[in-house]
Amino acid sequence: MRRAAREQSSGGRTGAKALVESLERAGAQILFGYPGGNVIDIFNLLPASKMKFVLGRHEQGCVHMADGYARATGRPGVALVTSGPGATNAITGLGTANMDGIPLVLVSGQVPLSEIGTDAFQEADMSGICRAVTKHSFLVKSADEIPETVAEAFYIATHGKPGAVVIDLPRNVQREICLAQYPERISLRAYHPECPVPPGSAAALAGLVNRARRPVIYAGGGVIASGASADLKALAEKAQIPVATSLMGVGAFDTRDPLSLGMAGVYGTKAANAAIASADLVLALGVRFNDRMTAAFPPERGVKTVHVDCDASSIEKNVPVSLGIVADIKDVLTTISSRVKPARHDEWLRRLAALARRSPARRGTKGIAPADVVRSVAAAVGGDAIVVTDVGQHQMFAAREFPHSCPRRFISSGGMGTMGFGIPAAIGAALAMPGEKVVALVGDGGAQMTAEELKVAADERLGIVFVVFNNSSLGMIRQMQERYFVGNFTNPDFMALARAYGLRGVRVEKAADLDRAMARAVRAKGPVLVEVKVDRDARA
Amino acid sequence: MQERERIYVLSCFVENKPGVLARIVGLISGRGYNIQTLNVGPTEDGTVSRMKIGVLGTEKVVNQIILQLRNCVNVMEVVCRRGR
Ligand SMILES: Cc1ncc(C[n+]2csc(CCOP(=O)(O)OP(=O)(O)O)c2C)c(N)n1
Repeated sequence: MRRAAREQSSGGRTGAKALVESLERAGAQILFGYPGGNVIDIFNLLPASKMKFVLGRHEQGCVHMADGYARATGRPGVALVTSGPGATNAITGLGTANMDGIPLVLVSGQVPLSEIGTDAFQEADMSGICRAVTKHSFLVKSADEIPETVAEAFYIATHGKPGAVVIDLPRNVQREICLAQYPERISLRAYHPECPVPPGSAAALAGLVNRARRPVIYAGGGVIASGASADLKALAEKAQIPVATSLMGVGAFDTRDPLSLGMAGVYGTKAANAAIASADLVLALGVRFNDRMTAAFPPERGVKTVHVDCDASSIEKNVPVSLGIVADIKDVLTTISSRVKPARHDEWLRRLAALARRSPARRGTKGIAPADVVRSVAAAVGGDAIVVTDVGQHQMFAAREFPHSCPRRFISSGGMGTMGFGIPAAIGAALAMPGEKVVALVGDGGAQMTAEELKVAADERLGIVFVVFNNSSLGMIRQMQERYFVGNFTNPDFMALARAYGLRGVRVEKAADLDRAMARAVRAKGPVLVEVKVDRDARA
Repeated sequence: MQERERIYVLSCFVENKPGVLARIVGLISGRGYNIQTLNVGPTEDGTVSRMKIGVLGTEKVVNQIILQLRNCVNVMEVVCRRGR
C-alpha cells in the first residue's frame, strides 16, 4: 500500500494508463479497436480518455478504418486489438497500410511475459507474424518502456517512407507501475531517415528538365505523402510538362488540368502510357515502378529516367535510371524550381492530347455501364468528395472516370489490392473529416468481405454513400479468365442487408434512374447503400 | 545477359535488441534469397552486435538487400565485401 502511494506521488501509474496517456500525447484523436482479455486494462481506461473510441466489428475492419483515417488526414491511424486472434485478424490491415506507405500504429495485447512461449490461451507470436507486413514492431518488456516506445512508434510510422508499426504489449506490463514520462524528443540510434537533397543533384535534374523535348512527370503516392502537390503543379505549368500518375498518385495532380494525362499502368489511359513510353525524359516522383504499372510501358528505361524517392531501396529496384535522387520530393521540387526555365512543348502536348481523345470507352451492352455510375457519382457530388474504393474493376473505373483534383481525396488499396478495404476505410475517412462527403465505391464481392462494418457507419450516423456495383460476379476475375469460374458466387439481398444494419437502401436497375437516385443519396444525412445493377460484361 | 552470382559477405552492425536477428534473416529470406553463412557476435560496445551474413546473389540483388537492410530500424551500418 505504502509503495503504491509512493509510486503515485512520483508520477507512477499503470502501464495501461501510461499507454493511453502516451497515445494522447502522440496526437491520437480516434482509436479504432476491438476488446479482448489481454487488453481489458486498457479498455477500462477508455471512457475517461480524450481519444474517441470506435468499435469496429472485426479487427481487419478496425485497422482499415485507421488506415482510411491516415490516408484522409496524413496523420497516423491508431488501432487497438487483443492478443491471438485479434492480432492475427489485424494482419491484412497492417500489410495493406504498410505496402502503400501509410502511417499506422497498432497496439496489440499479448499474454503475460511469463506465459510467452507456453502456448497460452490466445497467445500468438505477433512480432514474428507481423514482421513481413510492417515497418517495425516492438515487444514491450517493462512498463517503463511504454512512453518511449509509443513516441518511437509514431516517429517511425511517420518518418522516412511511412509505414505500419506494431506495439505488442503483454498483459502483466499493462498492470505494472510505470514511472517513465513521455520523452520530449526522440532520437533513434540506428534510424536516421532524413535525406537532404544531395548537393549537385538539383542542378543536374534542372539541366535534364531544361534540355528535354518530350518530358513527362510520372507522379506517385510519394508526392502526396510529401505534401508536394502544389510544387508539382508549379513545375508542370512552368515548364509545360504533362503529368501521369500511378494509382497511388491519383489526386496528386488535378485531372482537369490540360496537362493531366490521367493514370498510367495496365488499367491506365493510353495517353499516360504512351507518354511514358515515348518521352525523352521521365521524371518519376515518389513511385515504385510497380509491375501493375510497368507492364503498360517498357520497363527498360535507363538513360531517360530520373527517379526521386525518399526510399533509397526503391531506386533501381525495378527499372534502371540515369539519375536517382534520394530525398524528400517537396524539398527537391522547391530546390529546382528557380533553376527550371519556362518552356513549351506544344508539338508533344498536341500528340498526347490526340491520344487522350481517342481513349476508348470500353463498354458492354447489357445494363448500366460501371463507368457511368462513377460519372453519376461525380455529378451528384459536384466533383467534390472523398472517394474510397474497394478492389476490382470498379476501382479502376473510379480511378479513371472521377475528376480527381486534390490529394488525399482518392483512397484505395494499391500495393496489396485488398478486397474488403473500401467499407471500413470510408468509415475511417468520414470520421477523420466530419462535414466532408464520403463516397465508397465497392464491388459486390468486396462488399461481402467487410459488410459487418456497415453497422459502425449507421451507429456513428456517418453520411457515407456506399455504392455497390452489382455485376453478380467477381468482375475482375471474370475479366481475367477465359471461362469464368469462381465457384458459386451469389449475392445477398443488399436492400435487406442495408436494412439489417440500419442504413437506407436504394436499388437502381435502370440507367434512367441513376442520376436522380445518386443525387438523393448524396443529400441524405445518414449512411445510404446504393446498389446499382451494372453490366457484367464491361471490362476495366 | 545473365549477371553472375557470387557470394557476398555483408557485415551489419545492429542494435543488440530482441528480435533484430529474426528481422534481418526474415528480410533476406522473405525476398527469396538464401543465406549461406551467418555469424553473430558482440562488439566492444555491448549494445551493438555484429552480424556477418554470406549471401549468394548477383550484384544487383545484393545491392537491393543492402538498401533494404539500411532501411531496417535497428541496423546501424552495412558494409559489403565481395567473395568468390
Ligand atoms: C482479399 C482479396 N482476395 C482476393 C483478391 C483477388 N481479386 C481481385 S479483384 C477480385 C474480384 C472483385 O470482385 P468485386 O468485388 O465484385 O468487384 P468488381 O471487380 O466486380 O468490380 C478478386 C477476387 C483480392 N484482391 N483481395
